[in-house]
Amino acid sequence: MRHLKLTYVYEGMFLIDNDLVRADWAAAKAMVTDLLEKHGATVQSARRWDERALAYPIKGRRRATYLLAYYGMDGDGIPGFQRDLEIQDGVLRYLNLRVDALPEGEDELSKAELADDFSVPEPPADDAVDDETGATEDPDTTGDEVDVPDGVADADVTQAATTDN
Amino acid sequence: MRTTRPRKTVAIVHKSDVLDYKNLELLEKCISPQGQILPRRRTGVNTQRQRELKNVIKRARHLALLPFVG
Repeated sequence: MRHLKLTYVYEGMFLIDNDLVRADWAAAKAMVTDLLEKHGATVQSARRWDERALAYPIKGRRRATYLLAYYGMDGDGIPGFQRDLEIQDGVLRYLNLRVDALPEGEDELSKAELADDFSVPEPPADDAVDDETGATEDPDTTGDEVDVPDGVADADVTQAATTDN
Repeated sequence: MRTTRPRKTVAIVHKSDVLDYKNLELLEKCISPQGQILPRRRTGVNTQRQRELKNVIKRARHLALLPFVG
């Protein structure tokens, strides 16, 4: 029996390290979009969603820039894409969800970034954690009573995200 | 004998509200100051929508948009 490959539309939210954003936003965006294209995705839109303070530090960062992307991809490509994201230092965290279609207005917002007069506001400089070691811990993995292995909470959400496929 | 009626609570989430992890204005109202998800009697949604709300709050927490602990 022939294996049918179905292409779905996915929404991806990626936390990008502000150091990369300060250096070159286009390159930081291309880091994610190139990875998507490497895994056979067609990027429908990709834009800067926000730059904000994180609710808790991640990998020694207090602030990060959020990149919101919509792309069409085979469900088979998602695990490989997520494996590649895990080894990208510039991507602090990600979330991939399947959606019905590209939301209205997203295309225009994405195209606005391609305009000549578009510029990304400079992220504030206070995004590094004060701690000299730079070691940060997520509140969900630092319980006093329960010894939770690292990444369990993340795996839970990633699994939830992939079950939407 | 005078009986005390349970206090009526005003629903936080309405039918027209879109439950999305990016809708932080709404999600911030659905967590307690300690960061816990509010119960259904406070959010005012049915069980299906409460489950959906739980999932979007957990997604927002994963992306550090909302805190795990307030």
